[in-house]
Amino acid sequence: MSKWQQRVRTLMVNYLALPSDVILELPRITIIGQIHVYIENHLGLVTYSDTELKLKMKQGFVQITGTSFVIKMMLPQEILLEGSIKDVRFLPANKQ
Amino acid sequence: MKPIQGSFIIGYVSILIKGDQPELFFQKCSRHGITIWDMKKHGPDLCEGKIKLADIKLIKKIRRGTGYKVSFVQKSGYPFLLKRFLRKRPLMIGLLLALFVIIFLSNIIWEVKITGVPKDIEEKISKQLNQYGVHPGAWIFSLQSPNEIQQQLVKDVPELLWVGVDQKGTTFYLEGVEKIIVKEIPAGEPRNLVAKKNGVIKELYVSKGIARVKVNDYVEKGDLLVSGVIGEDTVEDSTKGLVAADGLITANTWYEVSVTVPLEYYDEQVTGNNETKYYLKIGDFQLPVWGFGSPDYTDVHRETREATLRLLKWESPVKVVENVISEKTYNRRDRTKEEAIQIGIDQAKADLQLELGPEAKIMTEKILHESIEHGKVKLHLYITVEENIGDAQLLNQGD
Repeated sequence: MSKWQQRVRTLMVNYLALPSDVILELPRITIIGQIHVYIENHLGLVTYSDTELKLKMKQGFVQITGTSFVIKMMLPQEILLEGSIKDVRFLPANKQ
Repeated sequence: MKPIQGSFIIGYVSILIKGDQPELFFQKCSRHGITIWDMKKHGPDLCEGKIKLADIKLIKKIRRGTGYKVSFVQKSGYPFLLKRFLRKRPLMIGLLLALFVIIFLSNIIWEVKITGVPKDIEEKISKQLNQYGVHPGAWIFSLQSPNEIQQQLVKDVPELLWVGVDQKGTTFYLEGVEKIIVKEIPAGEPRNLVAKKNGVIKELYVSKGIARVKVNDYVEKGDLLVSGVIGEDTVEDSTKGLVAADGLITANTWYEVSVTVPLEYYDEQVTGNNETKYYLKIGDFQLPVWGFGSPDYTDVHRETREATLRLLKWESPVKVVENVISEKTYNRRDRTKEEAIQIGIDQAKADLQLELGPEAKIMTEKILHESIEHGKVKLHLYITVEENIGDAQLLNQGD
């Protein structure tokens, strides 16, 4: 069922040119240089420290690592992270 | 950054969360719709973030039941500033007092400047102004309007031809123009003096020319009184000279005047009962401040005065209106015939004096005829006057 839904959504993105982040419920991540990361459409914060930010998404997590992290703004669906960013990694759900 | 814009105005606090994985508390808050910014982790169990002042209640509710400890670190923003400011009583009192003093002082006359007139008239004007209550230290809104002062001043200081009264803030500027009594141009032109009207010569004072009449002569209008031709005038080329005749010829003249005086008349009288009401007027709207309800007088006389409240040099739109309602009565009064006659005579004299000017002297009056018709006394008067009847007439007129 969910697989079928997923396929329909992918089709809609491909053929109807609808924004993929909305249709597929994926986070939209905007990175400005190495100083800002702007994440929209996430499903919640899991861990946060000076050097790491982990956010939940529909399947798995987004992990951002770096140094001197400050969350500049936190809204229910958006996060603006400031600091010096080293990498952005997507982790599968089972390997938390 | 839009959600945190304006947070200074509505106020915000910095909260410190202590507990296991404090960021998860913020996550919980954010799910409830609270905006968090400048979130920083100080240690493994310490996390600081800023929230709006209005969200504090919600934070307290969320905290309940969880093991987190919430402490407020820093309060900033306008509401806190205001609170801190209001707590300083002496400062507040001082500020209010200062404002009051400014309003008070800007409603006081500080200076009266008189320009355009010589010192002696200036002194007269300032003395007169003192009487009207216009002097440094007087309340501005207890005064009449500049227009009224202007009119009164011209009336009370006869030397003034015109005076401009201008109120600029707390200063009264008066610009006067002195009356310059223009004397008749001492005409070098040769002229005669002729009679202005019929009369009997009473006094002759000739400074130039030859008098052609004597005291007690009866003259008619247009008769030659003082001739400007001196010397022989029979021979053409003789010592004949022409001068501008000048002199004061006082004569007894007479006038017949009729006046009518009613025996019965009405007048209005204020009884002395009055009520004063005060309003604050903004635009067309009047807000009663003092004095409510209307008095039960049958006939009233109203007096309204308006004064603009001012702040420093600006006029505020607020006006203080004073409304005095006085009770008055109409009286029907009777005069006896003798009183009516006396009034009639006085009135006739005053009218005549006004017509002839201040130099004429009214000597006697006689009642030629009196009658009472329809409740009115009709008088026919004969008044004798002493006045200057000399009138200049140029000699070369018609040449």
